[in-house]
Amino acid sequence: MAQPQPVPAPDSALIAAWQAGDEQAAAELVGRHARPLARFLAGAGAPEADVDDLVQETFIRAFRGVHRFRGHCQFRTWLLTIGGNVLKDFGRRAGRRKVMPLDEGVRDGRGDPHAHAEASEAEALLLAGLKQLPRLQREVFLLRAQQGLEYEEIAAALATTSGAARVHYHHAVRRLKEMVQDE
Amino acid sequence: MNEDRLNELARRLGADTAERLDVDATARKVVQRLREQPARRAIWIQQAWLRIAATVVILVGGAVALRQVRIGRDSAEHIPHFVADDLSDLSADELREVLTSFDEIVAGDSVVVPESGTDLNELDTQQLRALLRSPEG
Repeated sequence: MAQPQPVPAPDSALIAAWQAGDEQAAAELVGRHARPLARFLAGAGAPEADVDDLVQETFIRAFRGVHRFRGHCQFRTWLLTIGGNVLKDFGRRAGRRKVMPLDEGVRDGRGDPHAHAEASEAEALLLAGLKQLPRLQREVFLLRAQQGLEYEEIAAALATTSGAARVHYHHAVRRLKEMVQDE
Repeated sequence: MNEDRLNELARRLGADTAERLDVDATARKVVQRLREQPARRAIWIQQAWLRIAATVVILVGGAVALRQVRIGRDSAEHIPHFVADDLSDLSADELREVLTSFDEIVAGDSVVVPESGTDLNELDTQQLRALLRSPEG
């Protein structure tokens, strides 16, 4: 008879443990959420070479500000919204350095030869379409379509209503359909 | 392209990037940075407190110094000063001159009218001194 698997500690328990000084709890939270966060960042246009740094920065900000997390949404959803802010700041800095403006090379999978080689044509078109959306529409679309979150959860994380989140999602879908078909 | 296809594509976005992420290494780096940051934060807090303390010291010190200067000035202004102290060395002509200008200042409405009809030129030095001292009580 197989041994029952130990039930993993919920995020809230790990957060409390981290706040009490348990570094292992922080490492565990990174292990749980780093990949979904990396997908979100890549989908939102982060260059692959910078995804690791952006993931680290997002976790650092989250752990530093964890006292502001009130459990109004899941820890992962909260983390993804922080990731959106980190990516925005990254784009701003990149824009100032005039190395890679966020809305050109950073967000365009077709501008990155490595990504281009791996992404399917349709994915590349979708990435190119996403870069043209307003930030809120892009994030709501990714939270819903990529991360599979409910509107209520998205609304709680973005401090809006579920109705507004639904509207943003539908605008995003409509515009993405148009853009992808135009290509 | 329909919505289902869009969603399917969206679910795949970034999947390869996420797979390539070395999660253990990322966790180690995050923990390492978190270890370093409280120290930096403590230093920052220390510096901030030092700045606040220095500002308070400067403000309080400045206020005290200003108060002392004011008190000094006020007390200097309030030391009684009798005109009579300066009169001893004056000649009769100088005393007359002082008295004339004094009369002009007070416009003759509150003070020092000697004997009616008395001309200052007729007074001698002692009388002039006495006249000048009289408003001081």
